[in-house]
Amino acid sequence: MGEALLWLGPALVLILGVVVYPAITLFATSFGTYSITGLRKGSAGFDNYVNFLTSPDLGQVMWNTLVWVVVVVVLTIVIGLGLAQFLSKSFFGRRFVRWAVIVPWAAALVISSQLFRLMYDYYHGIINHVLLALGIIHTPIDWLGDSRFVMPSMILVGVFVSLPFTAYLFVAGLNAIPADVYEAARIDGATPWQTYRTITLPLLRPAILIGVVLNMIYVFNSFPVIWILNGSNPGVGNDTMITYMYKLAFKSGDHDIGMSAAAGIFNVLIILIAVGIYLRFVNWRQGDKA
Amino acid sequence: MKKSLRFVGLAAIAAIASMTLASCGASTNDASSGADVKSIKVVIAEYSPDHTSEFWKAFATKYEKKTGVKLNLQIISWNDLDQQSSTMVQSGNLPDILNQNAYASYAADDLLYNSDEVLDAATKADIIPAFVKSGTYDGKFYGMPDLSSARALFYNTDLFTKAGITAAPATWDEFTADAKKVQALGNGAVGYAQPLGPEEAQAEFAIWLFNNGGDFKADGKWTLNSPENIKTLEYMKSLSVTEKVTQNNPGHTNRTDGAFSLFEQGKAGMVVGFSPLQSALDTDFTSVKYAIAPMPSGDGAAAQTYGVTDYLMSFKKPGNQDAVKEFYKMYYAPDEINTWIKAEGFLPVTTSGLAEFSSDPKLKVYLDTLPNIHLTPTDDPEWDKIKLTIQQNIGLAVAPNGDPKKFLDDLQAQAEAGK
Repeated sequence: MGEALLWLGPALVLILGVVVYPAITLFATSFGTYSITGLRKGSAGFDNYVNFLTSPDLGQVMWNTLVWVVVVVVLTIVIGLGLAQFLSKSFFGRRFVRWAVIVPWAAALVISSQLFRLMYDYYHGIINHVLLALGIIHTPIDWLGDSRFVMPSMILVGVFVSLPFTAYLFVAGLNAIPADVYEAARIDGATPWQTYRTITLPLLRPAILIGVVLNMIYVFNSFPVIWILNGSNPGVGNDTMITYMYKLAFKSGDHDIGMSAAAGIFNVLIILIAVGIYLRFVNWRQGDKA
Repeated sequence: MKKSLRFVGLAAIAAIASMTLASCGASTNDASSGADVKSIKVVIAEYSPDHTSEFWKAFATKYEKKTGVKLNLQIISWNDLDQQSSTMVQSGNLPDILNQNAYASYAADDLLYNSDEVLDAATKADIIPAFVKSGTYDGKFYGMPDLSSARALFYNTDLFTKAGITAAPATWDEFTADAKKVQALGNGAVGYAQPLGPEEAQAEFAIWLFNNGGDFKADGKWTLNSPENIKTLEYMKSLSVTEKVTQNNPGHTNRTDGAFSLFEQGKAGMVVGFSPLQSALDTDFTSVKYAIAPMPSGDGAAAQTYGVTDYLMSFKKPGNQDAVKEFYKMYYAPDEINTWIKAEGFLPVTTSGLAEFSSDPKLKVYLDTLPNIHLTPTDDPEWDKIKLTIQQNIGLAVAPNGDPKKFLDDLQAQAEAGK
């Protein structure tokens, strides 16, 4: 038993230090009153939660978060499935294409977001230059300033940076499907679409489940993409819960760490509930049995 | 099984306890005895990637040699500074010296030394009175200025000549007319580059309203929604909405990567700039021909120079008073402070600095006005939040459907509720 503890020890210390301790601190902070300097002035009771939940901006921010998470995750999964099919076929230059797909994942999110910020720029951005030159548009589009375009522009980047992981997850899933199942289907005369729908998709189910859950969490918590692309916009009209939480703590006129911590607790609950609902909805235990 | 679980639980408690003890140990360490500290933590804002760390590293070496106290230097970008300094205070891990653009909230929380405790009388006497005043909270001088800057109207002389304009605008009417002429040149020319995005919008607002006889505070009372201020913001909004003489979407344009970059590309007729923009134009964008003029004034108001200063403040920690005192003494030595300010392209904060900089003809336009410079009310802790609200929300007020009066009324209500 003593030996077991020796083996468990480092992991336990790590979990306590990196997960439990910050969580306790966040929880404690959410019940404190803080000066703008960060000095604790005393207990706040539930005031931080009340102020946060009654904030006039909350509705807009929650809606943005919902749109952001749902659209990015759905597009990522759908495109990821297609991309994985493509990558698991053998063709000339496949190694090169596989590397090309993984690059956005290797680049830091901050760098990718900055690059997109330059590409989207109203005056100097390459996207406007190309669209103007091709005659598709006649005046430049303010991709990151016009409220009709900000969210779609951010979603595009969100999908771009989520794809590599998802596509590779599905490639691994596809490789795990035994070839004889396909052979049997072919002998039975199944069409390609039938094969895909009745064999590939069901057998990919575990990979898709994991892909959706992990992407939900990553995308919900994604800070750099929104922070950088939305950086020159006033107000909170395009913020998600994560950037809103940061603005509450350090950028808005509230400048309130306590209220921001309450938002942080609320965020953890939201994502847990969302993942729970999803797993319930797809009946994942049943999937295991099948 | 049960037994081993209990053991794990015990181990967990032990681990937590040891962590807590360790953190206690850290904090009691410097709170023990009144003995002098062996090291100080100095947190400096990064004004430029090239010069800030070069100067401060050399400074740290000299400081250590002279005092024998280790100087732990931390240089933090402006983007992260608020978050980092607030985390330091929250976790009780205070710096000894902090470089920030605000100090009054720290003074109000009773965290800082005042000048009587850490500043030589001679050094204090050398600081320009306008900066002593802005660094004074509740009768005591807490916010020591590290450097300053003044804003003025930059205009592109090539574009002005092309548009047939011979002199810089002196009134708002002339300003609008000139901006229209430049905008009419076409080919991407913009009359006035107006940055009202979150980066530094309070500065843009301040310079316009000071030159319309307005102010944020007068006689100790907030005057955020005064008639002059409402008129100023409505005029600023009209530049993009009705006159259409600005770049696209000013409320969503930041200063550095938006308005300044348009001027640096030679696309903007006018922009409100300061000396770092001037050095960028003189070194990296030499094809842009420009001149600098005082801001145009509205309604015949007296011309005002809007200035900004940042602060070095020192935190009360046991045993660090002498080390901090020595730090200020060395920093305000003309060789040190003026070398740095020159390298960064800013303006002096001391009388001796004024004398030294006066030999530079490029800085004359600013230096003459420095003693009468008009600053924002940084001596009021409430301003720290008002400033943030302006930065975050003024862009919405100048949008086509924005309401300048309501924005300023709300701002006034926020300021009065904070009292």
